[in-house]
Amino acid sequence: MQARSMELTVGLFVMAGLLALAMLALKVGNIHALNLGGTYAVTADFNDVGSLKPKAPVTVAGVRVGHVARITINPQTYQAVVTLDLLKKYRFPRDSSASIETAGLLGEQYVSLSPGGSRRYLKNGSKIRITQSAIILEKIISQLLYSKAGHSSGHS
Amino acid sequence: MSWGADTIRALGRRVISGIGRLGHAVLFLVRLMPGLGVALARGRLIIQQLYMTGVLTLVIVLVSGAFVGMILALQGYNTLVRYDAQSSLGLLVALSLVRELGPVLTALLFAGRAGSALTAEIGLMKATEQLDGMEMMAVDPLPRVVAPRFWAGWIAVPLLAMIFSAVGIIGAYIVAVGDLGLDGGVFWSQMQSGVSISNDIMGGLIKSVVFGFVVSWIAVFEGYDAKPTSEGVSRATTRTVVSSSLAILGLDFIMTAFMLRGL
Amino acid sequence: MDRRNSTEPLVTVRDLAFYRDERPIFQDLNLTVAKGSVTAIMGGSGSGKTTLLSLIGGRLVPARGAVTVAGEVVASLPRKLLFALRRRMGMLFQSSALLTDLDVYENVAFPMREHTRLPEALIHDLVLMKLEMVGLRGARGLFPAELSGGMLRRVALARAIALDPMMVMYDEPFTGLDPISMGVIVKLIRELNDALGMTSIVVTHDVDEACTIADYIYLIGEGRVIAEGTPADMKKTDAPEVRQFMGGLPDGPVAFHYPAPRYFDDLLRADRP
Repeated sequence: MQARSMELTVGLFVMAGLLALAMLALKVGNIHALNLGGTYAVTADFNDVGSLKPKAPVTVAGVRVGHVARITINPQTYQAVVTLDLLKKYRFPRDSSASIETAGLLGEQYVSLSPGGSRRYLKNGSKIRITQSAIILEKIISQLLYSKAGHSSGHS
Repeated sequence: MSWGADTIRALGRRVISGIGRLGHAVLFLVRLMPGLGVALARGRLIIQQLYMTGVLTLVIVLVSGAFVGMILALQGYNTLVRYDAQSSLGLLVALSLVRELGPVLTALLFAGRAGSALTAEIGLMKATEQLDGMEMMAVDPLPRVVAPRFWAGWIAVPLLAMIFSAVGIIGAYIVAVGDLGLDGGVFWSQMQSGVSISNDIMGGLIKSVVFGFVVSWIAVFEGYDAKPTSEGVSRATTRTVVSSSLAILGLDFIMTAFMLRGL
Repeated sequence: MDRRNSTEPLVTVRDLAFYRDERPIFQDLNLTVAKGSVTAIMGGSGSGKTTLLSLIGGRLVPARGAVTVAGEVVASLPRKLLFALRRRMGMLFQSSALLTDLDVYENVAFPMREHTRLPEALIHDLVLMKLEMVGLRGARGLFPAELSGGMLRRVALARAIALDPMMVMYDEPFTGLDPISMGVIVKLIRELNDALGMTSIVVTHDVDEACTIADYIYLIGEGRVIAEGTPADMKKTDAPEVRQFMGGLPDGPVAFHYPAPRYFDDLLRADRP
């Protein structure tokens, strides 16, 4: 009687806690990052990855299709080698290009893929040939300032 | 001159007695260990204590969680809107709650609501000779009285912390979408792209498990160690809240430092 | 009424010494409790009567000497055997020590549930039997906070005899009770002792009640036995300590004043504030 209702309340309490955990995992956390459908890895070389970090999203036309797995450096070319884990359910042409972009002015950086026209597709271990490095704001600004400075000194 | 020496001596005495207390607490935990297994075999007692500690703390956790989430949404919005980044509000709220505020505030609330009650209950059982009576009935109070309360506290804190974070996020959603006019889809999608299950949610869960252990340990130790008088029990209750709060914040700093460095 | 025909001792205390923070509580204490008897241990407040019960129950360890209960030296028993021995002892605390989160029924059932695997129906019958003995069968659903002092002590008594112990120790069972409750407890101690064939040790400073129920009385003070004998012996004796205690005289061998320097000197002390 009394013990029964106490057990019921405790049971409900524990369930509420587990439901909260489930909500955090499914609705708040990114369950897709766990790659339930499996992924395949492709690499892309960049001259400069800017502030790209592992786990950053990989998107095609703004839709998330995978994430950055690793960023290493090629000891011969001194280029950054970015390994991308792409979801198995998507296939992309082999002549697709990859670029590093920034979400908003100060947002985080991500990799954007632009599909090409080839009939052959990227598969595990493929390499994306055409890449566009991160646009680094400071570099653009300093270039702008230098060219301005050169211009004005020539003028005087 | 002698005043300075006295001050330093007083400080030394406090440090020594503090270390001594920690030693006593550790010894107590060691003595409690076999009882923990025995108590686990009698789940009924743990369920009873889960009701006393967990369920009765639930209301304050629900209310606090909702308010903290709503406040975070309002404050976060006001800051983010200056950088035109209000779309990240969901992410900001979720990370703050899941990583930090959920585990820490829940543990602090638990220490104040249930931890102090645990100490007072055990202390009063001691003061009214209930524990002595059990000993004379050949019943060891450690597995029978202390261990179920310890288990219940340890189990309740992580569950409550998850509930706190979830309710907080829902509260923030209501304010953000209902009052501030943010788009609900953006709220959730930004959150999902930025909150990592393995780092952020697991990290918060680990923190709350550690806090649950420490708060329950302090509460049952202070109760069992209390002087069996009404003054002794009230002092022990205060000590539980103070030491638990300090332990929670100190451990939180250490764990956060380790987690952010990716260890 | 006289059950002291068996002189076989159940509890013997030999040359017992015990110190609390260097302060001697007992020095060379010797006494025996005969099986089947009601033995009263009397003494002023602070004479260590409760400490003696703790020593018999094995909750304290003597500095010297030994306490033997049913042939076992209590202090030398490993924990498991000590607990086995305690299962055969009941103890009634002054504060009743009932578990406040359980009702009367569950309090009496507590030792049975902890120590036996009896079926629920049997526990039910046993609990009602014990409660019937103390006249509180009707109060089984009440919680300790709802009971009067006398009823609390009766419930505690029912709990103490729950496992049919060979011996029950009573710590100040008469203190703080109204005359009717006191009469009930006096009657219960004697009746239960005889009906259940138990041995009872009653620690008390209530002279009249002790003389009513006890078969044998020990008067302790200054860490040893001052006098012993049957209630009749105790009343007749001329020893001044006994006369003072039994008669309730304020001053005598047990001084009214706590040891202090001379009154006059104390008043003339130079260090007065």
